[in-house]
Amino acid sequence: MEKSTSRLKILAILVAFMFAALGTRLWFLQVLSSASAGKAIERQSIRIVKVDAVRGDIFDDQGRKIVDNRISLEVRVNKQELGDDAEAVLLRLSDVLSIPVSDIREALDDKDYFDYQPKPVAIDVAKDVAFYLKEHRQEFPGVEVVEASVRDYPEGSMAAHILGYVGQINAEEIGDPSFKGYGPNDLVGRSGLEQVYEHSLHGKKGLEKFLVNSNQEVIRSLGVQEPVPGNNLVLSIDIDAQRIVERALVQGIERTRTIFDDSQDPPGYLKANSGTVIVMDPSTGELKALASWPTFDPAWFVGGLTRGRIAYLFDNPQAPTLNRATQLTYAPGSTFKPFVALAAVQSGIASLGGYYPCPPEYEYPNDTSHTIFHNWTTANLGTISIARALQVSCDTVFYGFGGDFYGRYTSDQLGVDPIPLQKDLRQFGFGRVTGIDLPTEADGLIPTPRWKEGFSADNPELFNPGEEVWLPGDNIQMAIGQGYVTVTPLQLATAYAAIANGGKICTPHLVDRIEYPDGSLAKRVPGHCGRRTLPYTQAELDYINAALATVTQAGGTAGLAFSGFPLSDIPVGGKTGTAQRPPFQDTSWFAATVPAGDPQYVIIAVVEQGGHGSTAAAPIVRQIIEGLFGLEETGAVDGGSND
Amino acid sequence: MDLVAGRTFANERRPIRHLDPVLLLVTAFLSIIGLLTIYSSTHRSLEVLDEDPMIYVKKQVAALVLGILLLLVIATFDYRFFKVYAGFIYAGTATMLVLVRLPGVGSSANGAQRWFQFAGFQFTPSEIAKISLILMLAAMLSELRSPEPMLPDVSRVCIVAIVPMFLVFIQPDIGTTIVLVAIVVGILVVAGTRPRHLLALALTSIVLVALAFQLGVIRDYQLARLTGFLDPQNSADTTQYNRQQAEIAVGAGGLFGRGYLAGTQTNLDFVPEQHTDFIFTVVGEEFGFFGAIFVLALFAILIWRAIRISYLSKDPFGTYVAAGIASMFAIQMFVNVGMVLGIMPITGIPLPFVSYGGTAMLANFIAAGLVLNVHMRRFK
Repeated sequence: MEKSTSRLKILAILVAFMFAALGTRLWFLQVLSSASAGKAIERQSIRIVKVDAVRGDIFDDQGRKIVDNRISLEVRVNKQELGDDAEAVLLRLSDVLSIPVSDIREALDDKDYFDYQPKPVAIDVAKDVAFYLKEHRQEFPGVEVVEASVRDYPEGSMAAHILGYVGQINAEEIGDPSFKGYGPNDLVGRSGLEQVYEHSLHGKKGLEKFLVNSNQEVIRSLGVQEPVPGNNLVLSIDIDAQRIVERALVQGIERTRTIFDDSQDPPGYLKANSGTVIVMDPSTGELKALASWPTFDPAWFVGGLTRGRIAYLFDNPQAPTLNRATQLTYAPGSTFKPFVALAAVQSGIASLGGYYPCPPEYEYPNDTSHTIFHNWTTANLGTISIARALQVSCDTVFYGFGGDFYGRYTSDQLGVDPIPLQKDLRQFGFGRVTGIDLPTEADGLIPTPRWKEGFSADNPELFNPGEEVWLPGDNIQMAIGQGYVTVTPLQLATAYAAIANGGKICTPHLVDRIEYPDGSLAKRVPGHCGRRTLPYTQAELDYINAALATVTQAGGTAGLAFSGFPLSDIPVGGKTGTAQRPPFQDTSWFAATVPAGDPQYVIIAVVEQGGHGSTAAAPIVRQIIEGLFGLEETGAVDGGSND
Repeated sequence: MDLVAGRTFANERRPIRHLDPVLLLVTAFLSIIGLLTIYSSTHRSLEVLDEDPMIYVKKQVAALVLGILLLLVIATFDYRFFKVYAGFIYAGTATMLVLVRLPGVGSSANGAQRWFQFAGFQFTPSEIAKISLILMLAAMLSELRSPEPMLPDVSRVCIVAIVPMFLVFIQPDIGTTIVLVAIVVGILVVAGTRPRHLLALALTSIVLVALAFQLGVIRDYQLARLTGFLDPQNSADTTQYNRQQAEIAVGAGGLFGRGYLAGTQTNLDFVPEQHTDFIFTVVGEEFGFFGAIFVLALFAILIWRAIRISYLSKDPFGTYVAAGIASMFAIQMFVNVGMVLGIMPITGIPLPFVSYGGTAMLANFIAAGLVLNVHMRRFK
């Protein structure tokens, strides 16, 4: 090892030289020239600027853009930096921008936002105005012009209730941990998909570092950490279908307003003040179109609302921002009958081979109050099958079922299954949210004796003391979708889809998949069909589907509305509904499955104060079907006044 | 002689009693300084982005724990097992270096394809290549018939060394290539290679490097860094900037430093790659001249212990392994600190035990485990 010792010495000497070199250099840098390094530090500093991420786009099922972004020159005012003479600055600004100073002040005084948040007071400012403001920066302290990325809607107001809108993050949200990483000028989704998929769409901020001198002038960029753009949403919505649906809804509503309906109380022109339409694929729960009217343009929210639009949107009894398909509940009227029929068969109250009387009036046996329940028509239709009862929407047949369900309750109150009707209706998804990817969905109500006890305890003034709480009328009304029953149009769509698809309850959804900005798949939003299934046989469902296909034929309640329609090529299963809602005019419903037998679409239409189901809703659905299947449009059809 | 002899050791005095506490203490000190400086140089940027300011520290601690476990495992086996398996380890590393080049298998950044990416962690095979080259060369040279390597032996060593060097060089990773060269030279010197053979080797290398320039294997940015070092007045803007800011940071530290987390150069991210290659700027700025000398002293002790163990080893394999590891630590320390201080080109070599980087951490602890192993079993 002698030799290796001397060779190791060579290695050690080399290493010693290394340390000597480093030590010397350290001495030079840190001791001899340390002062000049200190001066160099004083001459420079770093400014870190956050770079906003571009919000994700939204596409329809064929990749056509419904929402993207554009660059807008935006004037923002930071209230805290206006200086001593804030009023003068605002006056000058109002002059340059040609906006009333009161509007600017109002925007700045919004209590939902912190004072330190710069607030946009004008968007899409002309270049020369922006240039002027930048040139005269000293006259406008606290005023900045930025190139902001704002939402752009190539299809205009289309699908407004689906998309929702975005707005500047507010004070409450800034403090919320789920908005960690958001800046005071960030946009957040306020309703619709923009809200539900906020964290997919938003992306992640980047940073750019600048070396600046003591005058804060940028010397050079020290590199950028690129922002991560938000992910894109690809919807199940088809903008062609959406366009057809929106047009049919508006035209149908306008047409309905010209109709004088003497069956209303008091008789008069139908008001038809609002409505909604859903088109769903019953095999997947995907929505192909969803419209709600009155509507709005999400572009109004870009850069702040004008006072007129605030009044229209938020001080309006019609609440245009409300999505009537998911956020409002209605009595479903006769569109409820197929479910009641299935429940009656399931519980042994009725059978598919049975025949039931359809007189003009019904009275519950042994009812001491002798309450009379009327059919919607005064004709006596004799003894009819369930299929016929659905085709002509006979109320009295279903009153009978409801009465029998009440009898089941009174005789089996403490038994295992005293409320089979409510149990079955809940299995259809009524009384609970569907789980669609839209915010604040309403759940509706399937009343039960227990619910009514609570309700009467809360509202004693509505009830006679000492009286039985759950009455025959509660079951009888429920059997025709009236009384305390309320549903959302979307729940009804899901329930009709389940009858059409062999009994599978689907979770409706609008987003098919989430994609990275480069178009690759980030996440597929799975369709949930069949996690819950209906307890009926295929034969029972087939019977109902066949019965519904006769509703649109001559003799059915929608026979007039579909007269001349090529039903032999495209059979349409349907059900009309006319829900009473005193003191208002009737709610008009139509539910359809096309083509009947193997449906591609389930379509639900509702028109508030639209009269009978055949009057307003059925013609709207007919126009939509004509559009979806490329048929020639019939135009205005007289659907008559059938339930 | 080796494997059979291994059995007789069972009866010997227990190797665990011959740990080198100084070596362990030094690695522990350096690792802790690493964690402190990584936090100092990254926490502010992470806070600005609303991310966990400890994220790099946490990842480094994970690597540290794994590294200590590896060190313990390696110290348990007799180091001469590594001699038997050196060929396998070498071949395995070469395979990984080829695989990392394949698109879709390896990941790349800044124009270099260097790592495998899985489960949020990166694995850099070139770090392991250093260790496997040391083991392979030590195994070859310890089995020579002649007392000193002759020309054919030197040539074989060079052929074995050129494979990982080439694969690392084309990634491109010039820094690690330099480390591999230093390892080869260190082991050859300690093995007693004749000076004229070493000279011939040096000339061949110069020709090869010149050829590499001619064939355009070296990328523009690497060239810019190298020439920026040679000609500071005319070098590319960014390279020049990095060098200036690093020197300002170290210079601003003065004798006593500006205090932990108080370095404005450090906190404001003037210096790029500060938690990795430029970590020594944090030491310089925040702990000053005395702090920097302290860290250098720790390295001096580390390398001294490795050379001492090389001397104490009972067999040539142990001697060469320890010498190779001493060379590896020395060249990395020198090039890295020299780069920060402006006397070496910017080549992207991490500072052992201190710089952020999981695989490098593991490689360093494996190396420490190996020299410890040689120390523990130094008695015949």
